Amino acid sequence: MIRAQRSIFSRLVAAAIILSLVLLAGLWWLAREAVSATLQDAAAAEVDVDIAGLADIYASGGEAELAARIADRLALIPMDGSASHYLLVDADGKVIAGDLAAMPPLDPATSQSGVIALDRESHAFARAVQLAPGLSLVVARRTALEAPVLSSLALVFTAGGTVFVALVALLGKLAARRLERRIDQINLAFREPQGAATLMAAGTAPSDEIDELAAHSAAALARVNDLLAAYKDTSEQLAHEIRTPLSHLDNRLVKALAERPEPRIAERLAEARGEIRRIVQTLESLLDIAASKANRGDSSGLAPVDLSALVTGMCELYAGSAEEAGLELRWNVAPDVGIVGDVRQLSRLVTNMLDNALKYVPAGGRIAVTLEPGPVLVIADDGPGIAPQDRARIFDRFYRGRGRGEETSGSGLGLALAQAIAERHGLVLSLEEGDAGAVAGATARDMGGAVFRIAPAS
Amino acid sequence: MRILYVEDDPRSAAVVGEILDASGDVLVWEDTGSAALLRAGMEPFDVIILDRMLGDLDGLTITRRLREGGIGTPILILSALGRSSDRADGLDGGADDYLAKPFEPEELIARLKALHRRASGREHSAVILYGAFECHVKARTAFRDNRHLPLSPKEFELFRYFMENAGEVVTREMLLRHVWKMDFDPQTNVVDVNIGRLRRKLEDGFDRPALETIFGSGYRLLDGRP
Repeated sequence: MIRAQRSIFSRLVAAAIILSLVLLAGLWWLAREAVSATLQDAAAAEVDVDIAGLADIYASGGEAELAARIADRLALIPMDGSASHYLLVDADGKVIAGDLAAMPPLDPATSQSGVIALDRESHAFARAVQLAPGLSLVVARRTALEAPVLSSLALVFTAGGTVFVALVALLGKLAARRLERRIDQINLAFREPQGAATLMAAGTAPSDEIDELAAHSAAALARVNDLLAAYKDTSEQLAHEIRTPLSHLDNRLVKALAERPEPRIAERLAEARGEIRRIVQTLESLLDIAASKANRGDSSGLAPVDLSALVTGMCELYAGSAEEAGLELRWNVAPDVGIVGDVRQLSRLVTNMLDNALKYVPAGGRIAVTLEPGPVLVIADDGPGIAPQDRARIFDRFYRGRGRGEETSGSGLGLALAQAIAERHGLVLSLEEGDAGAVAGATARDMGGAVFRIAPAS
Repeated sequence: MRILYVEDDPRSAAVVGEILDASGDVLVWEDTGSAALLRAGMEPFDVIILDRMLGDLDGLTITRRLREGGIGTPILILSALGRSSDRADGLDGGADDYLAKPFEPEELIARLKALHRRASGREHSAVILYGAFECHVKARTAFRDNRHLPLSPKEFELFRYFMENAGEVVTREMLLRHVWKMDFDPQTNVVDVNIGRLRRKLEDGFDRPALETIFGSGYRLLDGRP
């Protein structure tokens, strides 16, 4: 049973939260930059007005007047907390007036402006001008607004952002849960045998993609269920309608035999009964193949099977028959090799492989069975092998090789059924290509005949 | 034995009737499931034979209803549905045995007898004695004329099954099912060969035969006495 380990919906919600956090951070940075730029523009305008005023004072009152006014301005502490800083220096760099500690790196000759450091923490917008040759003035202004505006901006973003992200998470979770429930309903329908009916009952008129998916799923499931039911009915009827008349026919032969006919006729009658048995076996095998194919990938009804014990038991069962046929049957079975499967079908699979080997390996030959974890089951022999032109066809239904003894013994369905059973269990039955030396398993090596390998599909 | 047979096909019912007449058993035939349920509730039977596909109820439903109703009479399903999975359905559904059509008359008789024997509890003792043979079920040892028989574990299983059905015909299908847990007949003659080996161990050093081959149907354990 495949079940999702991680839900797509919780991942979607997490992605939405991360995305909104990134967006908020970006917005916060943009707002901060815009506010800073606006405040700086305001400071620049104030500095320029101040410079113009001071230049007027210098023009009318001279250097001494200017120094006195700068001192006056420095003495005045403005109400809004913003403060201007000044520096008036002569050509030698001697400070005439002002409170700035040193000449900032601004060129007075070009009236350069820029942000300068006042001390370690505070910065201010400043402009340096040359009032006269040998007399430079620096005016710097720190806006009192910048710090509180930025901190309230931060507050707004933190509080608003938290609420926003919480809302995104909540709404995302609600939406995800709703979607999850609807998707779960579809998954449940596939998991449970009668799922289609519940899905149909739950479904309303398709209003969105999931409704449409649910409707398609319900229809597909219903079709699969119908097909399986039809297959089961047909195969049961087929079995019943063929086996019942065969059974009557067989009974007539039994009655004829009971009348003690002459030996030659009795032999014919017994042969006819044998033919009836063969027809029944062929029918059964065909239906078994169909059932195995129909149930491929469906794990219901399967249980853990001790494959090691099963293979060992089968080999022991066949050992005597192999010996009587002049064959050496060896098995090399790793302990505790298990598989989840149908024990009856797996017995059938191993039996069919051994029947096949016993039928086609000539007397004096060897058969080696190897089971390794995986599970990997190898049945190898040193018989004549499979002719290249027959390799592709040996798993076909009704294909018969040239065995020893009767030319067409058996139904020709043994390997086809073995393959269908292997596939039902997620295994692949294959005929190893080329020389047998490449095959895994010590006893299977260098046998030189046919090498059948049953191993997991992947 | 008194046997109830539920079958909607008169021809099949006639065939079974003839077979059981010949073996001296009493057969009561019902052609519907509901009538069979009614009768099984009122009269005692030794074995019940059920067809699977009936007009009204199917054999598996009848089996379930009988068991729910506290009727523990051994049930043999005799059906045209003979695939391995069909047998599994029947046996998992509460039936004691399953035989597919067409069948050997001897097979049906042997199965019915085995079911009846098992129900009468003859096989549950710790030591089974038959003629010259002894089977110690717990110790897993076998003796003939007090001489220990060196049997492999599987051979002991075979011997024990023969002892449980001593003196009666045991068919290949019965052996495959009870000893090897297989519900199909392999193409190879595995049963005959394994019986041959057991026979050698049972007869080695003794004058009288131990196992009799019944042509076309199976084997019978003899008492091994002179």
